[in-house]
Amino acid sequence: MMDEIRKEIRNIEKSAERLKSLAKDNNAIRKNAEIILTYLYILKFITPVWGEEDQ
Amino acid sequence: MEYWNPYTETLPREKLENIEFSYFKNMFSYAKTHSALYRDKLKGIEADDIRTVHDISKIPFTYKEELRAYQEIEPHPYGGLLGVNIQDVTTFRQTSGTTGKPVYVPETYESWQWRIESWCHILYMAGFRPRHRVFLPFGYNVYVAFWEAHYASEKVGCELVPGGALDTRGRVNKIIEIRANAMMNTPTYGLHIAEEAMNMGIDPKSLGIERMLCAGEPMPEATRRKLEDLYGCETYDHIGGTEVCGWAGMCKVKKGLHIIEPFFLVEILDRETLTKEVGEGEQGVVVITPLGRRSFPFIRFNTNDVVVKGHSNCSCGRTSKMIMEVVGRADDLRKIRGVLFSPKTIEQLIREEFTDIVEYEIVVERKGIMDEITLRIETTPKLGKDDVENLTKRLKERSKVKTNLTCKVKVEPQGALPRYDLKAKRFKDMREVK
Repeated sequence: MMDEIRKEIRNIEKSAERLKSLAKDNNAIRKNAEIILTYLYILKFITPVWGEEDQ
Repeated sequence: MEYWNPYTETLPREKLENIEFSYFKNMFSYAKTHSALYRDKLKGIEADDIRTVHDISKIPFTYKEELRAYQEIEPHPYGGLLGVNIQDVTTFRQTSGTTGKPVYVPETYESWQWRIESWCHILYMAGFRPRHRVFLPFGYNVYVAFWEAHYASEKVGCELVPGGALDTRGRVNKIIEIRANAMMNTPTYGLHIAEEAMNMGIDPKSLGIERMLCAGEPMPEATRRKLEDLYGCETYDHIGGTEVCGWAGMCKVKKGLHIIEPFFLVEILDRETLTKEVGEGEQGVVVITPLGRRSFPFIRFNTNDVVVKGHSNCSCGRTSKMIMEVVGRADDLRKIRGVLFSPKTIEQLIREEFTDIVEYEIVVERKGIMDEITLRIETTPKLGKDDVENLTKRLKERSKVKTNLTCKVKVEPQGALPRYDLKAKRFKDMREVK
């Protein structure tokens, strides 16, 4: 299940990065996309990969 | 659900340690490239030199004095401690300044949320749930633990009620008015609220507090149990610091504190040489590396906190390393007449055996060539003259047994000793006052 979770985190990260770049001229959308990225940093931190068997 | 994060909280030790080692190397590289302090301090050591967990011990400690020195350079006020662009800082924090000039702590939105995530473990372990209406009886000011508690309560799903700008009676009334059923406070202030409630003719048990989390001071087991008895509630402890965040909390088993892994790499090193990890049941100094906080990176910070190391097989199922007891700060341990003295021993004694003492203070003075300890005490008003004399005699005897030192006892009138909202200062070493 953790593999699925990590995969989903990566998908959301791609979307949030794209959202951020699409909204270069819109402070509100860009800032909210950055906040999503903040939580993705934490999500990655709490779903660590510990070795090859878990990749 | 029993755990805040069942995945990380129950990982086998070996896996947790591998993750922490990998995170440590990442944080080492980050600090070296983003912080002026570590650009200087880690010159000549590369991440590739850290091949095994044993290599970590070759990396120098970071001391609070260095933090103070490096914050003097630009950009003001964080100086060389900053790990990010100053424009990314969203919150200012600072240490209380108990031991000298405060250290200013920069938080970005990311680093603050990282701290809050760590704190959620502490709250969840202590049984805080969305059904709790949590009263925080303080104006938090610089006391970061209560800011962390505030935001972590929200994240866990509790309802948080800030209780600043009220006096203690006002807070008792507020707890009743809103029917708060949980509270976070210093142990000292928890006792004081109970005392004030009783002065108002209110039994603290009737306040309806079912859960209490303490912060800010080392809490002897006797004080924790006293709070449980007074309020009829479950009382939990945790440990943390402004620089490092809350880094260990108590689970429902209430036998020691779980280190929040893999958020922190915590080393507990022998007090004499600071080179060896101590064994279970031994005292050691805590050295911490926060593993994901980038705004204010630091590596192997010597906290000066002395703890007793525990095991890592708690019956709650968490696999984290544990500490069995917080002894206090190394600075609080003093040599008096050649004997190592911990003020916490006196607190433990008073809370456990002298429940008629409502407040106390320990004063150490040098009289000629001799050090003298005086225990200033306030008793409950109900005691008669003979009771007070007996209590005084018994306290002299028991303190001698517990500390191996002779203590004078001075009985003070009601209200003569200060009461504290936040960090209590009950230990006064006048030998240091020039």
